[in-house]
Amino acid sequence: MALYFFTPFIAIILTILGGGIIFYILGFNPIEALKFYFLTPISNLYGLSELLLKATPLCLIAIGLSFCFKSNNWNIGAEGQLTFGAIVGGGVALLFYNQEGFYILPLIIIAGAIGGMIFALIPAILKTYFNTNEILVSLMLVYVSKLLLDYLVVGPWSNPEGFNFPETRQFSDSSRMPLLFEGLRIHTGIFLALAAVMLSWFVLYKTYLGFQIKVSGLSLKTAKYAGFKGKTMILVVFMISGACAGLAGVGEITGPIGQLHRMISPDYGFTAIIVAFLGRLNPFGIIFASLVVALTYLGAETAQIFLQIPKYTGQVFQGMILFFLLASDYLLFFKVKILSLKKNELRH
Amino acid sequence: MATDLRISNVSKIYPGCIANDNVSLQFKSGKIYALLGENGAGKSTLVKILSGVVSPDNGEVFLNEKNLKLSSPLDAKKNKIGMVFQHFNLFETLSVFENLSIDATEDNKSLRVRINEILKKYNFSIDLDVPVLNLSAGQKQKVEIIRCLLRSPKVLIMDEPTSVLTEQETEELFISLKKFCDEGILIIYITHKLKEVLSLCDEVAVMRKGKVVSVSQTQNERVETLANKMVGQKLAKIKKKINISKNKDEIFKVKHLNFYSDDPFETNLVNLNFSVKKGECLGIAGISGNGQNELFQILSGEIITPDTSIIFRNKEIAKLNPKQRREYLMAFSPEDRISQAAVPELKIYENVALNNFKSSNFFEKGLVNEKKIKEHSKKILSDFSVNTDNVELKSQFLSGGNLQKLILGRELITAPELLICYNPTWGLDVGAINYIHETLIKINNQEKSTILISTDTEELLKLSDRIAVIYKGKLSKIMPSEEVTPEKLGVLMGGGSID
Repeated sequence: MALYFFTPFIAIILTILGGGIIFYILGFNPIEALKFYFLTPISNLYGLSELLLKATPLCLIAIGLSFCFKSNNWNIGAEGQLTFGAIVGGGVALLFYNQEGFYILPLIIIAGAIGGMIFALIPAILKTYFNTNEILVSLMLVYVSKLLLDYLVVGPWSNPEGFNFPETRQFSDSSRMPLLFEGLRIHTGIFLALAAVMLSWFVLYKTYLGFQIKVSGLSLKTAKYAGFKGKTMILVVFMISGACAGLAGVGEITGPIGQLHRMISPDYGFTAIIVAFLGRLNPFGIIFASLVVALTYLGAETAQIFLQIPKYTGQVFQGMILFFLLASDYLLFFKVKILSLKKNELRH
Repeated sequence: MATDLRISNVSKIYPGCIANDNVSLQFKSGKIYALLGENGAGKSTLVKILSGVVSPDNGEVFLNEKNLKLSSPLDAKKNKIGMVFQHFNLFETLSVFENLSIDATEDNKSLRVRINEILKKYNFSIDLDVPVLNLSAGQKQKVEIIRCLLRSPKVLIMDEPTSVLTEQETEELFISLKKFCDEGILIIYITHKLKEVLSLCDEVAVMRKGKVVSVSQTQNERVETLANKMVGQKLAKIKKKINISKNKDEIFKVKHLNFYSDDPFETNLVNLNFSVKKGECLGIAGISGNGQNELFQILSGEIITPDTSIIFRNKEIAKLNPKQRREYLMAFSPEDRISQAAVPELKIYENVALNNFKSSNFFEKGLVNEKKIKEHSKKILSDFSVNTDNVELKSQFLSGGNLQKLILGRELITAPELLICYNPTWGLDVGAINYIHETLIKINNQEKSTILISTDTEELLKLSDRIAVIYKGKLSKIMPSEEVTPEKLGVLMGGGSID
């Protein structure tokens, strides 16, 4: 059990070592490079605020995904749910683009959550009633929502005064998440993420729904035997997951971005899958994991500036985390043994 | 050449338990040896040591005075020790021949010739080119035996070989084993079935708690003496219970139960009709894989079949899920304790909460009422003498018998009118089996009914008032148990018919 929560740390250490080796091969001093990557970005207040800013959507989405993953439902399409949530929330924001009012932001947030929820319901309904594979459906729907967003920002929703740039109008101030500190980008959306953490802990560990999720995740046969309403549960966990992703999308467009355009998310929805597993699908583990993974985003940006290496190294690091996590989970209980076999014994 | 296998002072210690405590045994070819013991007595560990799966912490194994280093199953094979495990290691979708050629060291042509020689010599009739999934359990076992024979073994170890066989197949197996023995193969027969020991074996070693407690000639033993040695205490004999009057109301009635599946690993059920009276135990016999799984799941509501009518206490329940059926006072104990009836990773009280019946208030307004669940769990642990009182313990630390007591306790504490159980004593030791049999008899005496789906004919004959046999998804005529003999059941279970 202790090991179970320990392997994420092993994975992180191995990732750092692996990163160091890659930097060395690229001809950098690995210690220096790693310092640029992991320490420089958070060595000042602005950096810390950026870290939290990036961790917020990751944490929110991962919390939602943990409901799905814990119950053996493989929702891979959080990126699509995020996008669709942003479209619906953004649509509401555009409706009020020239108005002010305290009620606007809550409306946008609710709309975004509902948008994500509806979008997540598609794979859930197809799975429960038509026996489709939720991995494929949810993944493919990502591209549907991204193309829809593309269409909206170049077509009907594009800014009439925007010289045909693929973006919408700027949202009004009432549509923006209040900033926490002057001059920093960190905004109140972080409280949404923290609320989601607390709420998910309560639901997962203290309610009948949480109990059903736990049992279904450990043994679907047992869940069936106990008579849990499997279909309802699948719909509910997808709805929770979609709502969280939708909230994350809304947080981005009403927070740092302030409008809709093509690039509202640097694949937060996909990266959050790594966050969820690195956090062991545990609400508090996910907070920690979202910070670690957010750091790889920031580090990639600093590395691009200072070391002139592409910021896509961030994805390399994220990939390594997942790889080492899965590997250490899998291999931890293995014993390495060198065997010598005679040739004829290998023949078949 | 005579074979002499000697185990000398072998010990194996696992964290928290001594599996083998200084075990010494000697086996000589020309005899069939039984290794007898309850679950957890250390038989399996000893066998794993002999077959190279586990290395002992201490002690040595000698074959013809040669000290064997058995550090992998490959070493055991090299030293001509063959092993047939209780669960077959065959690829279901490959043909018999392909299965046998996987670990062979010769080309296919000569292998086929040798296999055919073995088939002829021992009168086995198996088609080498059909997929293994089409074979009966007995035939699959023969394939495993052939696999060993191909390596001309000196020692052949059989681990609980009859647990899936019919009476006829068991007899055939015994004939083959005696033949092997006459040919000089040393046979070690692992079992907890006492009658088999007496009818087949020459010498019997009894193990208890990791130690060898007795080695004796079987001719000097009786079922009772062996059982006492095995359990280490006098067993109270369960009385065959008195049949209850036949004019009771039918409490449970199944009509037109049909099930069709596209999955080739599932069995289709064809028009089953039966009923259960108040206080009665209906036994359903059959070799596993003849539709019992599907039947259990349909009766429990895990599978809903269209057009089936299930009447329970005058209500139609065919469309209800297991939880709803429980509310009508049905209870279910599935065969698979570890991945269905309970979740090993969950704590005891969490497993208890799986039977969330209506009056339990385990989950009030959607919230977990941990206190209530734990109180209830404590009661189950003490009422059904599970050997722990720690409800926070993870179920994986319970032995099979204790886990089964917990499951039965969970199902029975609601005083259900009908309990449906499927192989309730599968893999348990004598003490636990007795306890569970007593419990099942007790609920019948309290005018509650049971449906017992079991592959153990002895158990069925002991507990049932009426018995039917399921074969390839069809149910035989339902017979009063006093008219049924083990032989009759064997014929029906093997697909034959009686008149």
